Amino acid sequence: MTRSNAATGAQLLQRFTQVASSFAKPRAVQVDMLVQFAEVPVIVRIRDGRVTEIVQRGVALQSWDFAVKGTAEGWSQFWLALPPAGWHDLLALNKRGAFTIEGHLQPLMAHLQFIKDLLASPREEAT
Amino acid sequence: MSVTLEPIVGHYTSFAIQGKQCRVYFEEAGSGIPLVCLHTAGADNRQYRHLMNDPEVTSRYRVLAFDMPWHGKSYPPEGWQETEYQLSTALYVDTVMAFCAALELERPVVIGCSIGGRIVLQLAHLHSDKCRALIGVEAADHQQPWYDTSWLHRGDVHGGEVCAALVSGLVAPQSPAVYRHETLWQYMQGGPGIFKGDLYFYRVDSDLRGKLSGIRTDLCPLYLLTGEYDFSCTPEDTLRTAEAIPGAQVTVMREVGHFPMSENPTQFRKYLLPVLKSIQGQ
Repeated sequence: MTRSNAATGAQLLQRFTQVASSFAKPRAVQVDMLVQFAEVPVIVRIRDGRVTEIVQRGVALQSWDFAVKGTAEGWSQFWLALPPAGWHDLLALNKRGAFTIEGHLQPLMAHLQFIKDLLASPREEAT
Repeated sequence: MSVTLEPIVGHYTSFAIQGKQCRVYFEEAGSGIPLVCLHTAGADNRQYRHLMNDPEVTSRYRVLAFDMPWHGKSYPPEGWQETEYQLSTALYVDTVMAFCAALELERPVVIGCSIGGRIVLQLAHLHSDKCRALIGVEAADHQQPWYDTSWLHRGDVHGGEVCAALVSGLVAPQSPAVYRHETLWQYMQGGPGIFKGDLYFYRVDSDLRGKLSGIRTDLCPLYLLTGEYDFSCTPEDTLRTAEAIPGAQVTVMREVGHFPMSENPTQFRKYLLPVLKSIQGQ
């Protein structure tokens, strides 16, 4: 996939919201995470291991713990059923520069697999 | 007896490594050419269980996999509680050679993955006369760090969970879920700070760039196998390493990541069996 046929930020957000809104695992996770799909940022609120809210940023001074920001190409490749090598993992994408990870990282690292699974949840089913 | 027993047998033995007595656990299966298997950082010899259950391997090779001291069922040396574990290149080489000497293995083949692959390169440099062949899996003379290892051992992050979560991305998406999660379970069970201590060797004490001259692959063949989904030791890292070693034989393995023998044994054996056959014929 090239940049020209990657989904837009709005499309990526819609896809994420459809799946991630019901994401939950039995784990004591309390996090406000900024996730950015190309140019579109949202705040994902997680309480007691359950996504409780996905809110578009529109109000000044909204706070968050950490941010995961990805290019349109990065998210599109990451969510393929079989992502190409180097596009298949949050930290692989960070290493290649398609994603950036910022902020207070302790909550991320304390719940890293949870966050990885949440962000990968829109991945296509393998056929 | 109606139960089915795997052919793997476990033993404990004790020998000195750099003057410190160590009680070491190892498993073995098969008979023939000794094949010593080195696990990855922060893990243990369970990574080789598939190899030790493969009759095509064990019919020709005596496969031995030991838990490094501080790992798996091998204890740290006495007095460990007063020290911080840090694996060095010298300690790693001495550990491998001490195991081979204790077991009286004559010119074994050594296969190692990740840090085990890195030390295989050092063995090729220092001890090729003592080995029949060397196989480096996910091996390179150097690779770029991709996270801060201080996350691996601190009070406010569970060590086992973060180790497993970090390396989970190094497993290829094609690998069967059961083996992916077995591989991650090994990381969840490591001792506190041990993965970090192993990575001291990987990140700080074993930059082998420009230090691998004089490797005689004509005397001791060197095979390098790297998975395409390994973004820690990338295929490019291995290919660059091999370019500096005349006669090194490189294969990039499709649809596997950083833990081929553990994460996808069926795929891995497609690449390993021809190597073992080649070694046997030499």
